Amino acid sequence: MTWSVATPAVMAAFLAALVEVVEAFTIVLAVATLRGWRSAALGTIAGLAVLAGIVLLLGPLLNRIPLHSLQLAIGILLLLFGMGWLRKASLRAAGIIPLHDEDAIFAAEAAHLGQHRRRQQTNLDWMAAITALKAVLLEGLEVVFIVIAVGAGRGLLMPASLGALAACALVLAAGAILHRPLSRVPENTLKFGVGVMLSAFGVFWTGEGLGVTWPGQDLALLLFAALFLAAGLVGSALARRMSVEIAR
Amino acid sequence: MTVLKDVVAELIGMFVAEKRLTIAVLSVVTMAGCLIDFTDLDPLVGGTVVLFGCLTLLIESVCRSAKAGTS
Repeated sequence: MTWSVATPAVMAAFLAALVEVVEAFTIVLAVATLRGWRSAALGTIAGLAVLAGIVLLLGPLLNRIPLHSLQLAIGILLLLFGMGWLRKASLRAAGIIPLHDEDAIFAAEAAHLGQHRRRQQTNLDWMAAITALKAVLLEGLEVVFIVIAVGAGRGLLMPASLGALAACALVLAAGAILHRPLSRVPENTLKFGVGVMLSAFGVFWTGEGLGVTWPGQDLALLLFAALFLAAGLVGSALARRMSVEIAR
Repeated sequence: MTVLKDVVAELIGMFVAEKRLTIAVLSVVTMAGCLIDFTDLDPLVGGTVVLFGCLTLLIESVCRSAKAGTS
């Protein structure tokens, strides 16, 4: 394991988990505010248990796949996933699509649960727990994929998992202190950064899976990340210019 | 059932954020694979195709979405 692969892997897992946990935390907090911490905790624990089950199921299976096939499959998935994030972050940075607003999501989720409160009182605790479970499960799936994807190819599953867990702990600590949605987290900047790293990993693994020996080996990752960062910034600048011209 | 449906939708959405971009990326990787497997070129040429193909596709996709004014 070299620092040039381990550092981006741990950083990608940490930053991606930070973004996703903030999003899940907003919904869990809305559930807790409306229905108390029992339903919220129940849903969260159930969601985390399902995610842990997925990791335990997939982990041993990955060891049975030949390394080149695993690198190629994960590389392609990382390219699709990372470029999707980078594309969306570029469009958000250009003002083409709105930024993620945690306060608005909190209000919408609270209003949604409030509507159910008026309609059906009896199943509300169940409904609140399912809402929390869905939030943890759906946001957590992306984190699980990223941890497995950046960690599986080079035996970095443990450091990547620790990076993701550190992000969870950080968000929970901040949430416990503030007790409100973490709307000041610069989500789009973080998503931009994670998109850059995942796309770079995607090119790297896809190439290795196809039998390419990159010059500079692991250091090539840093060059790829710099190129994707530049492409994202160029795309964003061009998109901003286009939207201004169209508005005229 | 809704939870399962949402999980499947989330999984598909994770990798197919935009259909055209997804198809284009898969095409570039296939092209690079063919170059490496069926020609005498250095595999690094295939790797370069993947790298610069993806960079170009990213800029093109962002610009196309900006033009259409959609995500």
